[in-house]
Amino acid sequence: MAKAFSRRAVLLGLSATATLGAAPVRHAFAALDDKPFYFLTPEEARSLALLCDTLIPKDEHPSASEAGVVDFIDIQMAGPYGKGEGLYLEPPFFEGSPEQGYQLPLVPADLIRTGLAAFQRAEPTFAQADAAGREAIMTRLSEGEMDFGDLPALAFFDELWKLTNQGYFADPIHGGNKGYAGWEMVGFPGAHAYYLSFVDKHNVRYPQPPMGINHEPGGDGNLPAPKEAEEP
Amino acid sequence: MVDKTLPKTDVVIIGGGWTGLTTAYELAHEGRKCVILERGDHRHDATSFAGPEEHDELKYALRYTHMMNVKQNTLTFRNDRSQRALPMRRLGSFLPGEGLGGAGIHWNGQIWRPLPSDLEMRTHYENRYGADFIPDDLTVQDWGVTYDELEQHLDFFEKICGAAGRAGNLRGEAQKGGNPFEGPRQSDYPNPPMKQPVSATLMGQAAERLGLNPFPMPSANVTAAYENPYGAQLHPCTYCGFCERFGCGYFAKADPIICVYDRIKEHENFEIRFRSTVLRVEKSEDGKTATGVTYIDADGREVFQPADIVCMNAYALWNVHLMLVSGLGTPYDPETGKGTVGRNYSYQTIAAVDAFLEDQVVTNPFMGAGALGTIVDDFNGDNFDHSELGFVGGGYIACKQYHGRPISYQPVPEGTPKWGGEWKRAVRENYLHHADFVVHGSSMSTPENFLDLDPTWTDQFGRPLLRMTFNFPDNDRKMADFVMKKAVEIAENMDHVKSVSSVNLAAEGSNYSIVPYQTTHNVGGAVMGTDPNTSVVNRYGQMWDHHNVFVFGACLFPQNLGYNPTGPLMGLAYWTLDHLKNDYLANPRPLMDA
Repeated sequence: MAKAFSRRAVLLGLSATATLGAAPVRHAFAALDDKPFYFLTPEEARSLALLCDTLIPKDEHPSASEAGVVDFIDIQMAGPYGKGEGLYLEPPFFEGSPEQGYQLPLVPADLIRTGLAAFQRAEPTFAQADAAGREAIMTRLSEGEMDFGDLPALAFFDELWKLTNQGYFADPIHGGNKGYAGWEMVGFPGAHAYYLSFVDKHNVRYPQPPMGINHEPGGDGNLPAPKEAEEP
Repeated sequence: MVDKTLPKTDVVIIGGGWTGLTTAYELAHEGRKCVILERGDHRHDATSFAGPEEHDELKYALRYTHMMNVKQNTLTFRNDRSQRALPMRRLGSFLPGEGLGGAGIHWNGQIWRPLPSDLEMRTHYENRYGADFIPDDLTVQDWGVTYDELEQHLDFFEKICGAAGRAGNLRGEAQKGGNPFEGPRQSDYPNPPMKQPVSATLMGQAAERLGLNPFPMPSANVTAAYENPYGAQLHPCTYCGFCERFGCGYFAKADPIICVYDRIKEHENFEIRFRSTVLRVEKSEDGKTATGVTYIDADGREVFQPADIVCMNAYALWNVHLMLVSGLGTPYDPETGKGTVGRNYSYQTIAAVDAFLEDQVVTNPFMGAGALGTIVDDFNGDNFDHSELGFVGGGYIACKQYHGRPISYQPVPEGTPKWGGEWKRAVRENYLHHADFVVHGSSMSTPENFLDLDPTWTDQFGRPLLRMTFNFPDNDRKMADFVMKKAVEIAENMDHVKSVSSVNLAAEGSNYSIVPYQTTHNVGGAVMGTDPNTSVVNRYGQMWDHHNVFVFGACLFPQNLGYNPTGPLMGLAYWTLDHLKNDYLANPRPLMDA
């Protein structure tokens, strides 16, 4: 059945109303797929997905966008953080030393929006490049070797990378880490944390699969069955 | 313009954290009416910090939901006087608190005592190494109070917290498995040490092989059901790994709400007003005393609260700020070296060492607690011979396991790219096989590291922001480098180690940065002592210039210890309260001659 809107379709570069098969269980976009983005335009969402997937590419574990990082960033940018909560924005603004920290008159949502537009202008062929080409472009961005005009390209990269990383590993209630992609990858059991009887069992992998604040059951955690403790 | 003047109270207390609530507890029981003004909100462990909702790394550890809001209160920062200071627009290097319990709800619970020699630092070094040993550019001084004087108060705070640890020196008798360098303690820790994970165990074994003296980190993460001297009930720590930056919903991390507030909140002499920000301390016409404080109340009105005694119990930095905007004491001037308010600001010198372990070692880093780990104190304070080293001070080496929260805990070996497929693989491969070391080093005072008022930026009430001028002294760079090399040696001697990397945040050629988190151990600026030319308060915590103003917290430290400050600053608080209760209240006057 056709949906009015599909985030998955947007990120796949299809028209936003394309008909898709039923989303697989725990698919990255199962929960949010039919909701319009809160902040991002479809074009911004597609650019972000490509950028994020260059930072955290797919391997045996999902890529950033497969794990819902675009949804995470969308929610963050639309919410208090994106609007500048926790950021002192009283003028005047001066360029400082790196040790003095962030000094731009931009809230994160403005930084991401302006940065995405500047990146699009600076690297219009990013989407067409292959993986190695994208990585080379990202390397230049991360090393501050890209000209964004008034905007320091490095500030954009820092925010982008911070958000991508957070989206991959934050509790799924924030929209990313879908299916506990990040937590399963490293073996983090999540928010239900009670290890009094386990902390001194040395060298035994914790057998419980991840579970987040919302109590959604995780997978098998990719963990072997527990075995008896043994000193290495 | 004051909208309202309230009836006089006996004691007004600025700030509802560890020292403020304790001051209220002790003085209310002496029959004095106490009013606490707390700029933040009410909150409670049972209702505000319960899991799993509290176990949200993004919300609490990275969006700083329990911390001070920089929109309302921040400071400006520069490395030296030639720079223009710029606002700290985001929290980073340190995380002051706000709300009931202050920063005391989101500490790690690492509870220490100072070494006896730490408190008499200048005298001790001059006696041991000669009068010229301390470098000229350090304004190191004695605290004016000795370990023997503080011991009973340090001990009492350990009992308030139900501290868990192993004594190393019980009334002068060495105790196996404890810290052999600690000053003599009258009683052992009230609770046994924490269980140790494999990382800290392997570190301890390596340290022992090197002839060092490892022991379990003293912890205010409680290890058994416990009732403190105020009647508070604490529960055993669950090793949940959400400690620093989080409140503890298990009632297992000693904090000012459960240990103190709950035991005084119903008392007839106790009152706390939330959302009440003190603008300034008011002085009498002759300037010799304070008459009370003016604050903005929860409805935005400017209110004058008269009081016989003013207790300054804000976070170290904000005590100094309040003094500067109130005209209490004489501001420090780095040009002339005169004045004391803002003088001798210091911090903490941090280095980190990472040990990457073979796959058969499974560390489960998420099974952590704020004060979980093994300590080597052989290179702290003056526990080792400094005569050929060219620096003073030191630090402890900890192999700690306080969390495995996956956004912040991503150890990867040196040379790993910062992002991309190779980074992703390295994060995955090392998460469960890594030991986390910190060198927690002292910080010496210098004439060029200080606090004053900023000429440009103001807070929401129009007051100038505090301005911090700070960089690492050469002394501390050398110290951190020396102790870090010792930590690397221990790490390299651990069984099953594959590789070791290290970083000294105070490395030669680098500057202190306000961006990456280091510690919330900002100290000094209103230091204690026995000479009014080099201290803001006397050895009892009483202001030299205004005898009914008592000052609490780490702003009193003349230079910073190699230890975490909560234990020492609470020892000082009980010492001050002892003299307030048993001397000053009956006969208000300067307790020392200037």
